[in-house]
Amino acid sequence: MVDLEKLRTVAKETISRDDVKYLIGWRQGTYGFRVTPCFIEEPGEAEQLIFSPLCTNNLASYLIVTEKLPLPRGEKPDTRKVAVMVKGCDSRAVVQQLIEQGIKREELYIIGCPCEGVLDLKKVEAKFPHILDPVAAQWGKDKIIFQLPEGVVEVPREEVLAQKCLDCRDPNPVIADITLGEEIEAWGNGEYQDVKELEAKSAEERWAFWEDKFSSCIRCYSCRNVCPMCYCKDCILDRLNPSWIYRSTNISENTAFHLSRAFHLAGRCIECGECERVCPVDIPLMKLNQKFSKEVEEKYGYRPGIDPEAKPLQSSYRPDDKEDFIL
Amino acid sequence: MSEQQFEPSVIAFLCNWCSYAGADLAGTSRIQYPTNLDIIRVMCSGRVNPLFIVNALQQGADGVLVSGCHPGDCHYMEGNFYARRRFTLMNELLNYVGVDAKRFNMSWVSASEGAKWKDVVEEVVENAKEAGPFEQFRRNKINW
Amino acid sequence: MNNKPKIGVYVCHCGINISHTVDVEAVAEFASQLPNVRVAREYSYMCSDPGQALIREDIKNEGLNRVVVASCSPRMHELTFRKTLAEAGLNPYYLEMANIREHCSWVHGDREKATAKAKRLVAAAAVKARLLEPLQEKEVDVEPASLIIGAGIAGIQAALDIAEAGFKVYLVEKTPSVGGRMSQLDKTFPTLDCSACILTPKMVDVASHPNIELLTYSQVEDVSGYVGNFDVKVRKKARYVDMDKCTGCGVCAQECRLTGRIPSEFDEGMGKRAAIYLPFPQAVPAKYTIDPERCLMLTRGKCGKSPKCVDACGTGAINFEQEDEIVEFKVGSIIVATGFDVFDASRKPEYGYNDYENVITGLELERLVSASGPTGGDILIGKGDDAYVPKDIAFIKCVGSRDKSVGNEYCSRVCCMYTAKLAHLLTEKIPDANVRVYYMDVRAFGKGFEEFYDRVRREGVRYIRGNPSEVFKRGDKLVVKAENTLTSTPVEDEVDLVVLAVGLEPRRDAREIIDILRLSQSGDRFYMEAHPKLAPVDTATDGVFLAGCAQGPKDIPDTVAQAKGAASSALVLLSSGKVKVQAQVSHINEDTCRGCGYCVEICPYSAIELVTVNQFGHEALVARVNDALCKGCGACVAGCFSGSAQQKSFMDGQILPQIAALGVMR
Ligand SMILES: Cc1cc2nc3c(=O)[nH]c(=O)nc-3n(C[C@H](O)[C@H](O)[C@H](O)COP(=O)(O)OP(=O)(O)OC[C@H]3O[C@@H](n4cnc5c(N)ncnc54)[C@H](O)[C@@H]3O)c2cc1C
Ligand code: SF4
Ligand code: SF4
Ligand code: FES
Repeated sequence: MVDLEKLRTVAKETISRDDVKYLIGWRQGTYGFRVTPCFIEEPGEAEQLIFSPLCTNNLASYLIVTEKLPLPRGEKPDTRKVAVMVKGCDSRAVVQQLIEQGIKREELYIIGCPCEGVLDLKKVEAKFPHILDPVAAQWGKDKIIFQLPEGVVEVPREEVLAQKCLDCRDPNPVIADITLGEEIEAWGNGEYQDVKELEAKSAEERWAFWEDKFSSCIRCYSCRNVCPMCYCKDCILDRLNPSWIYRSTNISENTAFHLSRAFHLAGRCIECGECERVCPVDIPLMKLNQKFSKEVEEKYGYRPGIDPEAKPLQSSYRPDDKEDFIL
Repeated sequence: MSEQQFEPSVIAFLCNWCSYAGADLAGTSRIQYPTNLDIIRVMCSGRVNPLFIVNALQQGADGVLVSGCHPGDCHYMEGNFYARRRFTLMNELLNYVGVDAKRFNMSWVSASEGAKWKDVVEEVVENAKEAGPFEQFRRNKINW
Repeated sequence: MNNKPKIGVYVCHCGINISHTVDVEAVAEFASQLPNVRVAREYSYMCSDPGQALIREDIKNEGLNRVVVASCSPRMHELTFRKTLAEAGLNPYYLEMANIREHCSWVHGDREKATAKAKRLVAAAAVKARLLEPLQEKEVDVEPASLIIGAGIAGIQAALDIAEAGFKVYLVEKTPSVGGRMSQLDKTFPTLDCSACILTPKMVDVASHPNIELLTYSQVEDVSGYVGNFDVKVRKKARYVDMDKCTGCGVCAQECRLTGRIPSEFDEGMGKRAAIYLPFPQAVPAKYTIDPERCLMLTRGKCGKSPKCVDACGTGAINFEQEDEIVEFKVGSIIVATGFDVFDASRKPEYGYNDYENVITGLELERLVSASGPTGGDILIGKGDDAYVPKDIAFIKCVGSRDKSVGNEYCSRVCCMYTAKLAHLLTEKIPDANVRVYYMDVRAFGKGFEEFYDRVRREGVRYIRGNPSEVFKRGDKLVVKAENTLTSTPVEDEVDLVVLAVGLEPRRDAREIIDILRLSQSGDRFYMEAHPKLAPVDTATDGVFLAGCAQGPKDIPDTVAQAKGAASSALVLLSSGKVKVQAQVSHINEDTCRGCGYCVEICPYSAIELVTVNQFGHEALVARVNDALCKGCGACVAGCFSGSAQQKSFMDGQILPQIAALGVMR
């Protein structure tokens, strides 16, 4: 487990470095179980930092969406490093961004935080509704320990962990300049049980399942916006010329949107589950993304965001790639 | 619409050098096949954006075909290898969301395979017929 | 330009080829109702002069700026109609064709359905036509010079042909002398001319030809650019001998402290040379070279009191300070003639090549029978006083060829005949020799080959069908163990000498050139031609051609024929002086490009690179296409998630409406 003292000391040291611009980490949110990302520029602010099962946000997203305001003539861009705290899945996002040259390694300082799984706030809030005072949580053995206003409560881990964490294979950061705490033994088996369940159903049942889900989509594009891998300056799904999908929300456009989004992440999705977390209408987006994780791994032995030297899946091939569906 | 009357619409993307030429050869050889399949020519199967498939289904196609040179024969050496990966993935995705597996097809047809082209067309049209009209996914109003 | 689309649609009857199944009038009538269509006509033969005139007049009179021709396949007449447009002053890329013959009238019988399909195809063509953009066909000048890599017989022949035609040739050879493998051969099958006699004059010619710049002991380091305009960088390795001063007299080599101590590459290690050496007596250029890995002065900085070669050389040609030199030049075309390596016989340990000195390879025997070889042409096995003349001699064929276990499935095409040749030479040199050949098949396909094979058998060489499983020692004899598969009898044949007819393999350093020129390899790992039948000397890279064994095993006649083919292909380029580059190339919108580099990885022609641009003071990576390299496949386009890469005439914005039109028309 990451020791908070250690974390804050490291953060302080890091932020004091001349070649570091700021540090992206997590701090307690305003109410209840909320934890919020924070940008730390002063050593003093490091005291706010936490690392707990509530640190759900994938901070790698912030590496890539930072707005670059036009610079006055003659002014040099600030290319100092950005320090970032990463869990296992977040670190895979960083690796995939490096593969795709979205960021430069020398402009990063990566603080790795081995993670025993983060919580699904929907599950937590269902158990403990209407809590307004800030709540802290920490990992225990096979359980999560909450400091609720009424006292300490322990909950079995499976009951509150986010779905994606239940089957996690990468609890330890795959890339880091410094790693806090002990390495954790992975517990996921990579069997894609969820995907297989759906695959076992008939085509009609699958269509009915997704039709139900997609028809509730309000096309807020939160899933895309939060994704650490979706960082085109001008997404083709927003474009009018050519217009790939129309703006209306109906089953046709919604389905096209979701298929396109998923496809663009095939071989790139690093399974952090952010899209599913932020979806306001609870579309099980990870069920879609994991389908590709499964296929890509089974067919090409490929897992995105693991090896910074790997070639992207969709810009490479092998002459003997499988082709059993071809006529 | 009853099963018998249903005439599916199939949109096909063919690479210029092999499959399009193979379809030309079928013509020169006067090999007869159904009229349901309309061809869009691209230079290489590698040009076909997998999202075209989604788009074609939205825009009224009941079936889609992508056809290129046999692996290793692509005029541009590698285009069909990329296409194969992309469409393997797209095919999985479509099946997974419950699009009838018969709607999307891919084939390798060389410039000398006029007869194979006919077989492919017949199979793809038959597949689309079996899958039936794909109205669930149609766009309400298509602008063009 | 007022670019509001005004489309003319021309529906062709093609005699009755189209009109017998498609209601051409109905299609034209339908087309006239389509958006932006100004005129729609039908005509019996659109491709005829009057047909084309119709289009030209409408362009002038009706102010058309887009043309749709619904007729045969664009693979047939796209160029014809593009020309028509150009003649009328319209950009030729404002043409779109609907294939209503090969893809419609010829393959359908039902008139109603065929007509409906023709309408759909015309509608799709018309929407695309609306969105077409004018493209410029660029031509680039061709640098009137050629680079030839490798100066074996292939490179030499190609160089001479191109130089004779009046163009400059840079002939780059890795070793100190031109000549390649052929210079190592004694006689050549099937005519038995002496290899040196026919090769040496050509070697001298390349050295003296005014149009040929010979760069021996040199290596191509880098090639950039594209067809017509390659920039080449060559490293001339230091010879430590001043080429202008050296007269080739050879006293230095006699004096060298290491004389007779270093195995000679030319003699396959059987002869010995000094650290300063001429690879072989007829070497061209006849200039000495110091072996930097052996020379005492160069390896230890000291050679006795003073280097003996320096003392011996009358012209003061030796210069230990010499350094590698980089030469840069431009060429319009490149011929790769880097040849082959022979199969390494130690990879078939069962034949004992490493264990017994009387198991040798065919190439070694070539040196032994050669009058200029290490034994002066005597067939002597063993050293000094122990040397003996072998009497019982066995050849084993297909060593390293047609053998999956060593990864070479192909036939090396020369071993059958060189075995026959060497067997013949042995019977000539050792009249009482008893020569047998163990074989799987005899392939005597070339001109005069079967006759030669027949002659050799009549001379008493015995052919035994069977692939030996093992060669081992028994007493002072070697035993070849095999099964005679014609009589199904096991054989244990006691012999004095075993000759392994080793096959031809891609050079072990073949990768160097692949990396520099981006060549592909075929299944046999030799360099791959663009088309096995119709483009056997071309490669997938425009302006780069192949000659000789670099492309696959072949004998000298085939090598020379291919070299002449490659030279003529290169000359077509050089003498026309211009090459057209693709107009329907890919283009990247740098404003939306996210610099992920997927397209860079995808492009089979390395036509795209990532460049750093300044975006409002920030550095950003964006992809950029080199028009001259792009072949217009569009693979990058479909691989670009941001839609920034678009292929001209095949843009997403042009194809999506085509899809829509086909859908709507149902
Ligand atoms: C034992 C044996 C006997 C044979 N007998 C006969 C025969 O009797 N009759 C017959 O017709 N054929 C015979 N052959 C075949 C004949 O040798 C070949 O057909 C011929 O040598 C092919 O010539 P080439 O120019 O393609 O290759 P090579 O002779 O291999 O020449 C290639 C040249 O390129 C140079 N080179 C390689 N890489 C580079 C580089 N990167 N940069 C610069 N230079 C480079 C090499 O140093 C070499 O000089 C025989 C072959 C063998 C092995
Ligand atoms: S694939 Fe597209 S976004 Fe990526 S570098 Fe190439 S053009 Fe730019
Ligand atoms: S169209 Fe083909 S050749 Fe041209 S840049 Fe793209 S991938 Fe390369
Ligand atoms: S040209 Fe046919 S698949 Fe590439």
